Amino acid sequence: MSSLRDRIEGLRKAFEESARKAGDARALEELRNAFLGRKKGHVTLLFEDLKSVPAGEKREAGQLINELKDFVQEWLRQKAASGVASVSGGGSITTHGYKTEGGTDLTLPGRKRYVGTPHPLTLFEQEIERVFLGMGFTIEEGPEIETDYYNFEALNFPPYHPARDKWDTLFIKGDLLLRTHTSPVQVRVMERSKPPIRIICPGRVFRHETPDPTHLPMFMQVEGLVVDEGVTFAHLKGTLEYFLRALFGEKVKVRFRPSFFPFTEPSAEVDIECIVCGGRDAACRVCGGTGWKEILGSGMVHPQVLKNVNIDPEKYSGWAFGLGIDRTAMLALGIPEMRYFYENDLRFLRQFGTK
Amino acid sequence: MKISLDWVREYVAVDISRPELVDRLTMIGLVAETVEERGGDVVLDLETYANRPDTLGHLGVAREIGAALGLPLIERDWPLAELPEATAEIADVQIESEALCPRYCGLVVRGVKVGPSPDWLRRRIEAVGLRPVNNVVDVSNYVCFATAQPIHTFDFGRIGGGRVVVRKAKRGETLIDLDGRTLDLAPGMLVIADESRPVALAGVIGGQASGISEATREVFIESAHFDPISIRKTAKTLGLSTDASYRFERGSDIAFAPQAARMAASLLCGMGGRASRGLIDRAAKPPKPRTVRLRLRRIAELLGVDVPESFVVDVLGRLGFRAESAAKHSWRVDVPTFRHDVAREADLIEEVARFYGYDRIPSAFTPVDTFDLSVNRRRERLARIRETLLAQGLDEVINWSFADPDREKAAAGGREAVAIQNPISQRASVLRTTLLPGLLENAAWNLNRGLEGVHVFETGNVYAWEEEKHREDLHLGLLSTGLLPGASWAEPAGETDFFVLKGAVEALAEALRFEPIAFEERDHPSFEPGRALALLYKGQEVGRLGVLRAAFAAAASVERTVYAAEIDLEALFEKTPRPFEVAPVPKFPGASRDLSFLLDRAVPFGEVARVLGKLNQPLLEGFELRDRFAGAPVPADKVSLTVRFRFRHPQRTLVAEEVDRVEQEIVGQLRSALNIQLREGKIDIGT
Repeated sequence: MSSLRDRIEGLRKAFEESARKAGDARALEELRNAFLGRKKGHVTLLFEDLKSVPAGEKREAGQLINELKDFVQEWLRQKAASGVASVSGGGSITTHGYKTEGGTDLTLPGRKRYVGTPHPLTLFEQEIERVFLGMGFTIEEGPEIETDYYNFEALNFPPYHPARDKWDTLFIKGDLLLRTHTSPVQVRVMERSKPPIRIICPGRVFRHETPDPTHLPMFMQVEGLVVDEGVTFAHLKGTLEYFLRALFGEKVKVRFRPSFFPFTEPSAEVDIECIVCGGRDAACRVCGGTGWKEILGSGMVHPQVLKNVNIDPEKYSGWAFGLGIDRTAMLALGIPEMRYFYENDLRFLRQFGTK
Repeated sequence: MKISLDWVREYVAVDISRPELVDRLTMIGLVAETVEERGGDVVLDLETYANRPDTLGHLGVAREIGAALGLPLIERDWPLAELPEATAEIADVQIESEALCPRYCGLVVRGVKVGPSPDWLRRRIEAVGLRPVNNVVDVSNYVCFATAQPIHTFDFGRIGGGRVVVRKAKRGETLIDLDGRTLDLAPGMLVIADESRPVALAGVIGGQASGISEATREVFIESAHFDPISIRKTAKTLGLSTDASYRFERGSDIAFAPQAARMAASLLCGMGGRASRGLIDRAAKPPKPRTVRLRLRRIAELLGVDVPESFVVDVLGRLGFRAESAAKHSWRVDVPTFRHDVAREADLIEEVARFYGYDRIPSAFTPVDTFDLSVNRRRERLARIRETLLAQGLDEVINWSFADPDREKAAAGGREAVAIQNPISQRASVLRTTLLPGLLENAAWNLNRGLEGVHVFETGNVYAWEEEKHREDLHLGLLSTGLLPGASWAEPAGETDFFVLKGAVEALAEALRFEPIAFEERDHPSFEPGRALALLYKGQEVGRLGVLRAAFAAAASVERTVYAAEIDLEALFEKTPRPFEVAPVPKFPGASRDLSFLLDRAVPFGEVARVLGKLNQPLLEGFELRDRFAGAPVPADKVSLTVRFRFRHPQRTLVAEEVDRVEQEIVGQLRSALNIQLREGKIDIGT
């Protein structure tokens, strides 16, 4: 114990001596490392030695080491505050067009505070939300663990229908599953509210997919729904064209072509003109030379879906759409692989601080 | 579905250029994923839909093309060379399960020498991506890919007793299929059996024993209609998907079954065969076409465009529908039996729209006459939390909802994880009950790649079973380890500590206009013992904060000290924030005084704050801790604190004496409650 006490006293003296000589920021940093370094700092090593001190003396010894640590820290803190750490120059000289002022070198870089970066999928979702909020839509959410009824049956997927194959499902137990799309939110909203309905439903969705560059078992989706009197396919076209122009630019060409979804009739797949090659590259990696890139699915709400939620399809009609946020963001931002979004490599994520 | 253009031309005389055809097909919903030149032929790989089994044959695709281009379908004759015997004299067909097999047609062909197919047939078979087997098998594949009606051919000599029985499998029965696999048949699966045992799995795959071989002398042709759900269940249960099951589970054309059998027989007759007289045709009841009403007005109401009546009638006719005028501007439309997808008016309107052209429908804005002005509080608060944490210098991450069950156990607070029945992998086989392991993986990933600090947050759901019910709750997770960002030449990088995340939690409570969150020492399996705090909101635990257990971090190969927190936002969002009020900017100057004093080291600052919080001094505007120092010259059992007090009178300038008085009162309270010793007396630092 007494030897430890001596060592502590010796270190304190050694520190004071070196500290007097430390004239600039670098010397201070060296001093900090020598005493407080995480692995080989003198004080750090003392704490290691503490392990071999007899149990009865541990408390007192620990206190002494802590005092030394506090002393060193406090001394370094005050020294830094008093301005030793600032780089100073003498007189007033001109360098690269800057005039030094009051001994300070004005060519030094500015001081910035670090602000965190939102996740790119959040950013892109917000961009989508902004467009629809501007058109009078509201945002709705719902559970991610769903029942077969809300995920399939209410949406006009009969049990055992092969159409379910395209929505390959992760099952939980009984009739519980992980929602394969955010359409169940649409059903829940239609169940509890009367038209006019104008909503978008963003959220996580899940599929039994083997991961590859453009498929993952979890991704983000946004769906939209309009139900009102007199809603037509022409409205679907006009609104989605506007949305896609807001997202991809005024000039982007949009194409609607027939497709099949159990919950819409008529159904339409929506393509945009390939924003990479514009249809001029037969070997284009993005559009495969077709000049078009599939971007979302849509259609007029199936009358059976309306009936299932007690909305009279003779009086009301509606349109709906669904889009994968990940894949759309990949296209819009030129991101080659979907998994980048979920690796959370800060060197990737932080680039979106400037988006 | 691979479609040969040569083959299509057997049914419709297409003569437009290939790019034009591909484009027309796309615009009626038949997208060619690939277009391939093949020995003078063109093969399109068409994307087909689950509700359109009719397009799984060349005839169906030809019908679509004909409707798009206004071309008629070419009819073909299928002549037979007949045997003297009637089919019924040779074979005996019995259907025991009419519900699962509403129609069964069959006939026998004798005299075909089993061998390689003629060239034209081989070309067809190869065009759709199949391998030619022998003339009999190739004929059945030809009929299937021509008409979408699957055909099966048996070696009739191997059908015991010449009896074909359509029945459900019995317990314990097995079948060795054409590919040599032994299938365990479950009771309820529909089979084709002879007098003693199953010879085929109905609508899915044939049996090896009754398969066509070079020894085959008599061929029994089966063309049936099976219940789609039964076929799908059987195929799924056995993990099989064949060209036949793929079509039957989507629905075959019940009216077409006899014609398909005749086609197959006719082709075999062309190879030297002779067919038994008269088809066996067992149908539970004759197929009845569905009738759907269609109103011109509804077309305009749904599409937003006026389509001419003549166009409607014409296009439906070409697609095989029969539209009969009912009332004015409305029709009774008979739906052909191959169109299972058309059951309602909207389905017919889609047909009209497809061929009218989606591109000819105008674009309009969705009319809006009412707005929902309610605010989505939950999302608003979430946005506020994000903003606040980003401003605190934390980066946002998004992690999988899936979790590793072992990792989950190490971190969990005893919640029962929700398991996935059919996970992608064992490491992703449950749903996360906490956000911490995901954040820890983010730390590991980034530290391993040379970053010196990771400071991140995530908002997302966690899931658990609770009393036989599942729940999902929105949580906020925070993690901080290593050097803090924002270092510069003027300020060297600081190492994160406990107070970085504590500050973030305090900041978000402030940003949400909630009362301050209280912190209380409480152990938790995720955190180091004695280094964990429970976060309390008005007495209710809403989260945890502390130093992650080193063993837990080490398991993710993170050696650094990791600070982390997790907050149950559902619990927090139930609380009501304070109303927002704007206080007037003070009109009169205030005063500040720093008070430095020694306090027993064993007394936490929280005690000081508690005593000061209870002071009832109207002139005291607020206080904050400015400095904390321990070590020489402060005695070892003490700590030195400097607290800055702010004083103000709302209606006038303060007088030094009244500030002195309040200050003495403060010192007095602290002395009596906590036994403080003043260090250097007061320092007046003005306003």
